[in-house]
Amino acid sequence: MVVSTTTLSIGGNMFSSQRWQWESHESKLFQKPRKHFRWLYLNDLHLLRYRNKSLNFNPRGGFLPSLHAYGKEAEDSFLSNVNEDTDEMFDDLMTKYGKVVFKKNDRKSPSAELDDDAESLSFAVAMAKVASEVKAADIRVLFVKPLVYWTQFFIIATAFSHPQIDAIGSKIRDLAEKKYGKIASGDTKPNSWTLLDFGDVVIHIFLPQQRAFYNLDEFYGNATLIELPSENRPPFRS
Amino acid sequence: MIQPQTHLNVADNSGARELMCIRVIGASNRRYAHIGDVIVAVIKKAVPKAPLERSEVIRAVIVRTCKELKRDNGMIIRYDDNAAVVIDQKGNPKGTRIFGAIAGELRQLNFTKIVSLAPEVL
Repeated sequence: MVVSTTTLSIGGNMFSSQRWQWESHESKLFQKPRKHFRWLYLNDLHLLRYRNKSLNFNPRGGFLPSLHAYGKEAEDSFLSNVNEDTDEMFDDLMTKYGKVVFKKNDRKSPSAELDDDAESLSFAVAMAKVASEVKAADIRVLFVKPLVYWTQFFIIATAFSHPQIDAIGSKIRDLAEKKYGKIASGDTKPNSWTLLDFGDVVIHIFLPQQRAFYNLDEFYGNATLIELPSENRPPFRS
Repeated sequence: MIQPQTHLNVADNSGARELMCIRVIGASNRRYAHIGDVIVAVIKKAVPKAPLERSEVIRAVIVRTCKELKRDNGMIIRYDDNAAVVIDQKGNPKGTRIFGAIAGELRQLNFTKIVSLAPEVL
């Protein structure tokens, strides 16, 4: 590992000295590889600096003899050599500089994100509980955040008539507005597929036929199912 | 920019293959429809033995346009084709799955059902 990285960094340095010559003469010809190698070179500089500190040797003195060994003919072999070692070098860079290449400033910290998740989870569970109070059947709370970026939780429930859909919808709306201060967008009238969109939580209320037709459970089959506390109780029988 | 006589692809599994716009829903004499607008269309091509047939008049939501969609943050989205999703009068999609990438603007326009059936949202 150590040997290969040092040879790579030599190559990078050598290349940089050649690059200056090429740039004046035939810059157009080498535009593509140069782009690639400039990047290599930059990264190798980091490697070099890092290595100099630990090994304490003079890079220029060490590299000058090796410069003679590389002619323009030898350049191809050098290229293939680099290709072989690139994977190793990438691994090395990954371990040293981490995974983040570009980071947006507006991204939340992991702890804030966790808090956010917990908040929407409690909201989703509360909504599912309300739905089960109004006798909605087969309620599933899905954590879809890993699958889609635009929301975090799906609640899928079945109701057996339009009045029941209306009852579930209005009760959910009331509680969300009173307790959590959230207002739903989506359907206002009861529909065979009624959707309430609270931003982080999206609630789907289906008639049994529509639920089988659209089959959202299968479409989001990879999402994690969240256990509901009320699910274990015995089903209602009249 | 969809106007009457524009042909559109269908981005769902409703059974229609190609639509022709015959009316843009909105203000009277509205000229063009963009992503998220509802149009009245006629089915020009349909899959055999599907519930939807040729020359049937339906409503559809536009989900992709060749005309670029500009966002407030400067992002511009332009697709390779004009595509629409067939819906009924209440806004429920006629198909059960959507194909291809769709724009996130549909969610703000209350087409979250279409967004939740889509494989990719931009």
